[in-house]
Amino acid sequence: MKCNFCEHKCDLTKGKSFCGMYKDEGGKVAELYPDKWCTYSPSRIESVPFYHAYPGSRSMIIGTAGCNFRCKYCSNSFIACQDPADVQDVMFEFSGEKLVTMAKKLGCHNIIFNVNEPAVSLPSLMRVSEYAKKEGIPMGCLTNGYTTEESTLMLAEIFSFVHVGLKGFSNAFYKKYVGVNSIDPILRNIYTLSRHCHIEIASPVIENVNDHELTEIAEFICDINPEIPWHVFRLLPEHDMKESKYPDIEKMNKALESARTYLPYIYFHNFVGSNWVNTLCPKCGAVVIKRFSLGCSGDRLDEFLAPGNVCSSCGTKIAMLGTKVGWCEKREKECV
Amino acid sequence: MSLAIIDARQWQNRFDLESGQQMEKSNPVADMVSTVLSWNPYPGDVDEKANEWVTRTALDLVDQYEPNLVCLSYVQQFFAHRHFAHSKADWEKMCVNAMAEAQKFIEISGYTPVIVGTGGMISLKGAMDLSGIDGLAISSNWSARYCGVHQPSKDDMALIHKFMAEGKIERIVTKEEWIDLFKSEQPDIQIHQDEALMPDYLVVSNEGYTFKTMGTTLRKPVNIPENNFKVPVYTGLGKLDDLRGIKPLVRSNLIHHKIALILVEGVGKEFFPKDHSMCRNGCGWFCNEPGDSFYLTLSTGKHEPFAYPAGYRSFDRDAEITKFPFSGYMLSVPENTLALDYSGKSIAVGNRSMFMHMMFGVDISVECFARNLFNQGCLGVVHRMDKYGM
Repeated sequence: MKCNFCEHKCDLTKGKSFCGMYKDEGGKVAELYPDKWCTYSPSRIESVPFYHAYPGSRSMIIGTAGCNFRCKYCSNSFIACQDPADVQDVMFEFSGEKLVTMAKKLGCHNIIFNVNEPAVSLPSLMRVSEYAKKEGIPMGCLTNGYTTEESTLMLAEIFSFVHVGLKGFSNAFYKKYVGVNSIDPILRNIYTLSRHCHIEIASPVIENVNDHELTEIAEFICDINPEIPWHVFRLLPEHDMKESKYPDIEKMNKALESARTYLPYIYFHNFVGSNWVNTLCPKCGAVVIKRFSLGCSGDRLDEFLAPGNVCSSCGTKIAMLGTKVGWCEKREKECV
Repeated sequence: MSLAIIDARQWQNRFDLESGQQMEKSNPVADMVSTVLSWNPYPGDVDEKANEWVTRTALDLVDQYEPNLVCLSYVQQFFAHRHFAHSKADWEKMCVNAMAEAQKFIEISGYTPVIVGTGGMISLKGAMDLSGIDGLAISSNWSARYCGVHQPSKDDMALIHKFMAEGKIERIVTKEEWIDLFKSEQPDIQIHQDEALMPDYLVVSNEGYTFKTMGTTLRKPVNIPENNFKVPVYTGLGKLDDLRGIKPLVRSNLIHHKIALILVEGVGKEFFPKDHSMCRNGCGWFCNEPGDSFYLTLSTGKHEPFAYPAGYRSFDRDAEITKFPFSGYMLSVPENTLALDYSGKSIAVGNRSMFMHMMFGVDISVECFARNLFNQGCLGVVHRMDKYGM
């Protein structure tokens, strides 16, 4: 009896899954903690960060507990790397319907699964999605992409916009820093997801660990679709790597120069006051979206200068899911 | 115009504090603050060296700027004890160390101290789950005692009364009763926020209990503030019996003294020198928790519970047009703060993000840039570019 939600493919007859979220129940994979959420709070979509989906919109951020990775630098280890059993007393219990009602109460345009890995809570997310679709509320997520082919399609069914973490470009990196043996399923799933939904990619950079892989990552993204936005994060090491040196910003930025010539939507951030968070028109170079970076406390939209997703200077189409959404657009209509 | 200098470790950038627009502004004082920031990387909110960072940074600024007024906050012990369990002995050691840092600053700098504790902490007894109500319950990330309830149904009120019957809730007050409480003592009290965003009811927990609602942190609190209706204050400058007396006391003594106003969060009277006094903190049943209302009361000399009232829908104001991007939920520089109209030199340093540059009205501030314990570096702010030929 194997779990098929991620590439660990845990044998559940031997006990609960690696992530601590699934069990065997009469020969079927069942959730140990269905409909339990670690947070529900409104936030700017840019803070997730999604830069090319519904700019300016109010998202309801949700998450659960547990993860199928064990990143040595995890910034959410207090919820993602704990045994989910140990954090149940801080969780909120909401049915899918009630969570969607809450999103409406809070005036949110969309719901985004952040914090930990959605593959550990797919059945609960399916239930949320059912009601979200009825209410016309789009859903997005952050994922590490270590899902099976089948569950990747489930992700694509639930979420219309997905942010995939591509943390390095070698098996050696994934083995040493993430705890899985192969990068291949992640590359496969990025390709699959790009064919079904809007995707953005994030790569946390650790100096002298994976910075030499940036060019290979850029070329991989370009081969799939050069219009995929790529977020290069200056990693603030936490958890087991808390004592590591903070990456050199100028050096990292220089390393991205050649990639900028063939990937028009590269962003370098996850530190306060970054200069590299605006969207430039790929053709004429005009600033079409201005943002402000608050590091891991979240980025924000400053100005949207591309009405109809078109550059005001030269008319070039800017890659975008949806278009600008006012922060209070939903608030006026239907929330408490 | 105020200049914000972000130090993200080995890299700095400058902005207009209010608009967030990048600035290249260079002048001797801004460059001095940049240098002090580069000398003092922040170790992190719960790192045991975080309070030493306050002392060291403050002494560097004192050397460079020679202010008459210094405002400091030492908060490491509060952050650490809120989220992690400690033995009684370890907790006492943390409090003693925090007070020792304050003392070290005084001894080296020679400033006349006014030391204020925000009061002690207590183990969490339980959290009341109001997340599933028909209306909307909001408790802020750092509040324990207060929860705002918006548009409750009959069932919601029944649930709240059930918690009250169990001894977990002290009182339920309407918005009007809450405002009237303060108006009776301070008729000109300001309600800065859009009143419509305030909750219909304020629910007040009994000591040791808190709420589980939207806005409460992912990190579970282990210890929370006691109901500190009185807090310890140590000063040789005069007798005090109310937190609101500190501003006039400090201002009137600045003519003859260089003064250091020092906040030590989470620390109660047992760690203060014997000749401290106990000062009233709040009004009636409302006591300020360590947070914006405490800092504002101290700095303005007035009750300020409604600048950012507990349980209000802060996120409705969080549009892209929001000013002061580095200042969290704060929307403007508060008026009538301690040093805003002071003609002498003033600085603030602390490991309380946001409050140091917004709450004291000083010329220069340096604070950690940390959110929910994530250490992102430091923020220096030069408010008064016009002072002393800057």
